[in-house]
Amino acid sequence: MNDFRPPRPRAFRLDDISVSLDDAPARVPSPVQIKSQNFPTFDAGKITSDKSADRDEQATQAAQQRGILARWRPSLGGLIGSAVGGLLSMAIGLWITQLIEGLFAQATALGWVSVGLAGLLLIGLGAFLAREIIAIARQSRIAQLHRDLALAREKDDRDAARAGLARLAALYADRAQTARARAEISDASQSIIDGRDLIDIAERLLLRPLDLQAQSEIAAAAKRVSLVTAISPRAILDVIFVAAQIIRLVRTIAQIYGGRPGLLGFIKLARSIGAHLAITGGLAVGDSLLQQLVGHGIASKISARMGEGVLNGLLTARVGLSTLSVCRPAPFIVHRPPGVADVAPFLFGAGERS
Amino acid sequence: MPFVRDLVFEAGVAVRSLADYFNGGALRLGVTGLSRAGKTVFITALIDNLLNSARLPVLRAQAEGRILRSVLQPQPDDAVPRFAYEEHLASLSGADRAWPQSTRRISELRLKIEFERPSGWRAGPAELTLDIVDYPGEWLLDLALLEKTYAQWSAETLAQSQAPGRAALAAPWRAFVAELDLAGPANEDIARQCAAIFTAYLHKARQDAYALSTLPPGRFLMPGDLEGSPALTFAPLPIAADAAIAPGSLPAMMERRYEAYKAHIVRPFFRDHFSRLDRQIVLVDALSALNSGPAALRDLENAMAQALQAFRAGRASLLTTMFRPRIDRILFAATKADHLHHQSHDRLEAILRLLAQRAIARAEGVGAEIDVIALAAIRATREAQIRQRGETLSAIIGVPQAGETSGGKSFDGVAEAAVFPGELPSDPAAVFRGEALALPEADNHLRFLKFRPPVLAPGVSPPHIRLDRALQFLIGDKLA
Repeated sequence: MNDFRPPRPRAFRLDDISVSLDDAPARVPSPVQIKSQNFPTFDAGKITSDKSADRDEQATQAAQQRGILARWRPSLGGLIGSAVGGLLSMAIGLWITQLIEGLFAQATALGWVSVGLAGLLLIGLGAFLAREIIAIARQSRIAQLHRDLALAREKDDRDAARAGLARLAALYADRAQTARARAEISDASQSIIDGRDLIDIAERLLLRPLDLQAQSEIAAAAKRVSLVTAISPRAILDVIFVAAQIIRLVRTIAQIYGGRPGLLGFIKLARSIGAHLAITGGLAVGDSLLQQLVGHGIASKISARMGEGVLNGLLTARVGLSTLSVCRPAPFIVHRPPGVADVAPFLFGAGERS
Repeated sequence: MPFVRDLVFEAGVAVRSLADYFNGGALRLGVTGLSRAGKTVFITALIDNLLNSARLPVLRAQAEGRILRSVLQPQPDDAVPRFAYEEHLASLSGADRAWPQSTRRISELRLKIEFERPSGWRAGPAELTLDIVDYPGEWLLDLALLEKTYAQWSAETLAQSQAPGRAALAAPWRAFVAELDLAGPANEDIARQCAAIFTAYLHKARQDAYALSTLPPGRFLMPGDLEGSPALTFAPLPIAADAAIAPGSLPAMMERRYEAYKAHIVRPFFRDHFSRLDRQIVLVDALSALNSGPAALRDLENAMAQALQAFRAGRASLLTTMFRPRIDRILFAATKADHLHHQSHDRLEAILRLLAQRAIARAEGVGAEIDVIALAAIRATREAQIRQRGETLSAIIGVPQAGETSGGKSFDGVAEAAVFPGELPSDPAAVFRGEALALPEADNHLRFLKFRPPVLAPGVSPPHIRLDRALQFLIGDKLA
C-alpha cells in the first residue's frame, strides 16, 4: 500500500513449547515471551495545551494560575519588597550578633546560652521554611492535577486519565474512609473504560463526599458569621470575627481536599481565591446576586444589623465556594458546582421570615 | 397511487404510536445491525447485566445505587415470539460454550427497570420500561428496497455484480439471465431457476472470505417461514432502469412479485418494528470486513447508509412522541472490540466514524445526538504483550474457534492462544483504499480471529467492554 510497514499479524498457542508465558520456567530457550496484562501500566501522558469549554472551569483555572500556580516574575513591587525584606533581616541579624557579643562581654556562660538559643532559632526557621515549601508544592500539585484531569477529560485520553487517577488516589491514600473508593477507582482504571468515564467515576466516588463535607463547613461558617454580626455590640469586633472565620474556613477547605496551607501557601491561595471571586463576580449576576440583594434589602429594612449579618454571611459563603473551586483536585463535571443557595439557603429565608 | 399508499402507511404508524403512548409508552430501543454484527449477544448481555444488577460503573444510575431492580415483563405484542434470553444465555454458558445461532425470526422482550430519581421536583420511585426487538440482520437490507422500483433495483444489482470483487461470484447468474428471452411469456419454471441461481450468488458473496454486505433482498438469505412462496421467487433481470415492461412477460411477473414482497413483507416489518423507535444502537462488525479487504469495507459502508436511510432521526418532542416517534439518540458501536487490544480501540472508532459518516451527517443534521464507541457486549479475551525477536506487540489471549487459522497455525477450539491481529492504521481512510476483496492472509495486514465465549462463573454477568457506557448514552437520561 505505502511505505508504512506494520508488523505482521500472528498468533501463538499458549501450549506451544516455544512460547513462555508470564515468566514461567522456560522448557526450552523460548523465542517468544508472552506477558499477561491484567494491569495496564500507569504512565503520565504528555499534557501541553490547556483549554476548556466550561465558563466555571475556565474561571477556576485562571484563578489557580494567578495564585497557586503563579510563577515568580520580577516586578517593581517585588524589587522594593525584597530590598526591604533583605535589609530587615540584616538588621535583625546584626542585632542578634551584637546581643551575643554583648552577652559574652558580660559573662561567658550567658554568651553560650544565647548562642544556643540563636541556633535553636535557626533550626526552627529552617524547619518552618521547609514546611512552607512542602505545603506550597502540595497545593500547586493539586492545582496541576486539576488541570491535567480537566484536559484528559476533554480529550477523552485514557492514559492521561489513568495517570491522573493514580495521582488522585495517592493524594488521599492516608485517609482510611476513602479506602473503598480508591479500590473501586483502581479497579476501573484496570478495566477498559474511556478516559472521560474514568474521571466521572472518580469524581462521584472520591470527591463527592469531600464536596459535601466542604459545603457543610461553608454553611456552618456563614451561619456563625451572620449570627455574630447581627448581635455583636461593636463594629470592630465583627470585623475581626469575620476575618478569623474566613481564614479558618479557607484552611479547613484546603485541608479537606488534601492541601496543607501554611503562611506563604495561604497567601498564594488567597490570591487565587481573590481572582476567582473577581472573575465569577460577574458570572453570578444572573444566578444569585439578585437573590442576595433581595435578601439583604428585606433584612436591612427590618434591622440594619440584621442586614449586615446577612451580607457578611453571604460574603463568607462566596469566599468559601471560591475556595472550594480552587482547591478541588478535579473540575466539576458529574455534579454541578454548588452555589450560594446550596450552602446558605437560610440567608435568603431569614430576611423573609423575620 | 404511491401517495395514497404512503398516506395510509403514515396513518397506521400514527395510530400505533398513539396507542403506545396511552398504554404507558415504553422506551423502544432499536438494536440495528446487519447479520453477524452481534445483535443477539448484545441484547442477551444487556438484559443479563441489568437483571443481575451487575457492576456497571459508567451507567450513572447503577453506580449511584439508584436502580432497585430490573424484571422481565410480558411483552406488548402477542403475535411476536418472546426473545429467548434464557436459551441464549444457556448456549453461552453451557458446557460447549457457543455463540447463539444466527437469528431466524423476529422476537421481542420487555424489561422494566425500577429506580429512584434523585432530588428534584420528580424525586422518588419511578420505572422505565424498555422494549427490545431482535430480528435477522439480513432483513435490514430490505429497507433500502422501499424507495426503489423493480427496474431500478434490477439495474443497480446488475451494475454492482460487475464490480471486480463480485464478478467471479456472479458469473453463473449473469450467464443465466443473459440467455433469457425477456419478451416471451412468463414461465414459473424459469422464474424459480432464476431465483435459485440468484440466491446462490447472494449466499456465496456473504461467506466469511468475502464478507460482502449489500445483498438485498434479505429474505433470500434468511427466508424465515416464507421459503418457497411466490413473493420470494423473483430475481433482477437485465432491463434498463426506465424501460417499459410488457404485460404477461417474465419481467412483468417478476415486477409483480417484487412489489408484493415490498408490500407484504418489507413494509409491515418496517412499520411494526422500526417506525416507532425512540433510541437506536447501530452495531457494526467492521472486523470481518477488514479481514476481507477494502472492497468489503466500502460495501459495508454502502449497506449501512442505505439501511439507515429509512429510520427517522430528529429531536423528539411531545407531539412527535405521540404521533410520529423520532430517534433522538443514535449510538454507533463497533462490536467485537475484544478482538483487539484496547490501545487500538480509538483507531477502530475512527474507522467506524468514517464508515458511518453518511448516516452520522444525516442524523446530526436533523438534531439527533450521536456517539461512536468500540464495544464488546461479552468480552472473550484478556490482554497481553508478546515479545518476539526484539519486537513488542500488544496482543490478546483467548480461545480461537475450531478451524480458525492465523500465520500458518490452526486452532482446535480448546487451546488458548495469544493473537496479534495486526495494527490498525492511524489514518482511518487507509483501510478503504484499494479494490481488493477476500484478500488471502499473506496479503492482508490484519487478521482477526473468531474467539469462543469466555468461561462464565455461574450467577455472575459476563465481562464486557463499554456496555455500561452504551447504556448510559442510550437510556441514562431516562434514569436521571
